[in-house]
Amino acid sequence: MTTMSEPRIEPEGARTPVLPTRVAKTKNRGRRKEAWTAYVLLAPSLLFFLVFLLLPSIFAVVLSLSSWGGFDLSTIEFVGLENVARILSPDSTFVMPILTNTLVFAFGSVTIAVIASVAIAQFIERISLQGFWRTLYFLPLVTTVVAVGNVWKYLYQPSGFINGVLNFLGFKSIPFLTDPGTALPSVIVVAAWGSIGSAILILTAGLKSIPDTYYEAAEIDGANSWQQFWKITLPLLRPTLLFVLITQIIGGLQSFALINVMTGNGGPANSTNVAALEMYQQAFAFGQWGTASAMAMVLFVIIFVITLIELWFFRTKGEDTE
Amino acid sequence: MRHLTSLRVSAVLAAGALMLAGCSGSSDDGATGDGVVTLNLLTHYGADPLKSGLQKMVETWNAENPDIQVKTQAVIFTDLLKTITVRQTGGRSADIVQAYGLWGGQLVQAGVLAPVPDDIAAAIKEDYSSAAIGAATVDGQIVGYPTEVQTYGLFYNKMLLAEAGYDKAPQTWEEIQDAASKIAQRDDAGNTTVQGFGLIQGWDSEVVHPWLSLMQAAGGQFLSDDGTEVEFNSEAGVSALQFERDLIDSGATDLSFDTPAGFPAEQVGMTINAGYLIGSLKAAMGDAYKNVGVAPVPGPTAGTKGSLGYGFFMGVTQSSKNQDAAWKFLTWLNAEKGEDGTTPMGAFQYSQGTIPPRPEDSAILADTAADPNLQVFVDALEYAMSEPNPPASQEIKTELQKSIESVWVGQAEAADVLDTATDFANSKLGNG
Repeated sequence: MTTMSEPRIEPEGARTPVLPTRVAKTKNRGRRKEAWTAYVLLAPSLLFFLVFLLLPSIFAVVLSLSSWGGFDLSTIEFVGLENVARILSPDSTFVMPILTNTLVFAFGSVTIAVIASVAIAQFIERISLQGFWRTLYFLPLVTTVVAVGNVWKYLYQPSGFINGVLNFLGFKSIPFLTDPGTALPSVIVVAAWGSIGSAILILTAGLKSIPDTYYEAAEIDGANSWQQFWKITLPLLRPTLLFVLITQIIGGLQSFALINVMTGNGGPANSTNVAALEMYQQAFAFGQWGTASAMAMVLFVIIFVITLIELWFFRTKGEDTE
Repeated sequence: MRHLTSLRVSAVLAAGALMLAGCSGSSDDGATGDGVVTLNLLTHYGADPLKSGLQKMVETWNAENPDIQVKTQAVIFTDLLKTITVRQTGGRSADIVQAYGLWGGQLVQAGVLAPVPDDIAAAIKEDYSSAAIGAATVDGQIVGYPTEVQTYGLFYNKMLLAEAGYDKAPQTWEEIQDAASKIAQRDDAGNTTVQGFGLIQGWDSEVVHPWLSLMQAAGGQFLSDDGTEVEFNSEAGVSALQFERDLIDSGATDLSFDTPAGFPAEQVGMTINAGYLIGSLKAAMGDAYKNVGVAPVPGPTAGTKGSLGYGFFMGVTQSSKNQDAAWKFLTWLNAEKGEDGTTPMGAFQYSQGTIPPRPEDSAILADTAADPNLQVFVDALEYAMSEPNPPASQEIKTELQKSIESVWVGQAEAADVLDTATDFANSKLGNG
């Protein structure tokens, strides 16, 4: 008989399997309880994503394989890949010019925005009143797209400011938004102007993270400003640039509101029509929800592939993106 | 373990309840505890004077009918179909919707509209003009009360035309071309200061309807005689589009010129538009409105004319729980005669320069009108081509708009794009 104070002696082999199991069970129970508590606390946000992201995404996938005219959910009819085949067929305007316009719009606006924002961010870094300049360039981002689009629409008018300047300089007016050759580039410029602010903000943060000692060392070695930019600034800015490029290209590929405001339904003659605008027309104006969802799926695949290519490109250049 | 299970069940139930709360639509049947029925009326009369005019009629009804109260909800026209679609899908449809006749087929196919009671349908067929009935008919069935009907005419500025040597409206396309070329003026920088003939880009009706009017004036028609195929690529269709292109090529028309703003400013010689423009021209031009004349849209040869007729209707939705009350209100609004013998809607439309859909209203009110321009649109009801409304109408119209614009901007030839648009439309009608 043993007392409470005496240590309980058990054979070595017998004790090992009993105690760890009990401890493990207790630990597991504790972990499960913690996990469950975490899930309960996360439930509101998970529910939000479920209702507003996951369910609509699943619904869109289902619709892309269906024919549905809207209004009544009981009329959804499964058609397989018919919608995708139709929008990708040679007769369809979705690939050419709509997807082509989408890609030109996204890459065009991002190229202009990134080049301009790198230059401006560099410039702001070297002058006083940096906060003021950053705020100034950020202003377009806090202005509604409708206001931006309408103001630029007036600037582009034959009697608008830009043509007024051109006329003053002796040039003829340009039909910016009514000529299919100039309409898309005109909208691209506005999109780039509108997104420069956020890019500058992010790139400025990236510039500030580059240690001054690198530039001091380069200066001692005799490197000029241009060499410092190419050899120090740009390589060390790569992670920031990657973020800006990915987010802006995704935004550009999904762009809708600015074009809708500036050229209505993508005119003249489809010259500014882009995928998101066409989806909207197909679903809400024509009642072709299956076609619209199939277009959304194709656009999703394109965005996914472009993002993967961007990540791959920056990795091969030695950038760790993880 | 039991505690854990109950926690899981509670969490799942809570999540489910939250989801249901977030997703479920209103179960409001429009009736309050005191027996008052509230009807929601969705229209595109979102701006004055249409908004206040409709509201005034509704307030009169509400004062006289305390048991059936009507609330108006308005969106801009370009958002109307989208709003009807989204609200119907989300289970929050209005009791009464005002819709463009073109959408009739789409709304019927989707089961949005409730059937019209037989006595009301019979009265509509008896009392309304054929153009108005056509805009509110789908597959031979009346789908609602016609509320307005529009036809197209040639608006011209008498002063500008006189300066070009014309003391009356052009009678042929050749005369339009000649007058427009003489009227058009540009400044030293090449900017148009006065436009000869105005065309409007970017809005389907403003692009398609004038062309359809010209096409009909040249002897063409939207649908074949048996009504099964479109005939955009007829000789008349191609020549009408080529005529528009020639106006642009000659410099008489400048697509970048703001025609809607330029015509009331007396900077546009001619344009083709619907009768509703009269109301806004009067408001914008004041005394200068006396310079505005309207004539039938001429064809290529003297004596020919054409026009397009379209309309709006008010229907009761299938999902409304108060359909009887809704029809009662609509019957009062559209068919009950006042002291002067006119209906509230007829008198309201006429006051806005719009043709009332009931000829009886037009006949009574014609005595009060001092504007001969409106008569051109009333006369056009006799010969105007109705805009068909099969389920894919909006899609066909948008495709047609883009095809026409591509010719206007010199991207394509009239015959080619109209062939393509015809094939597209016929495939949508099930003939492809």
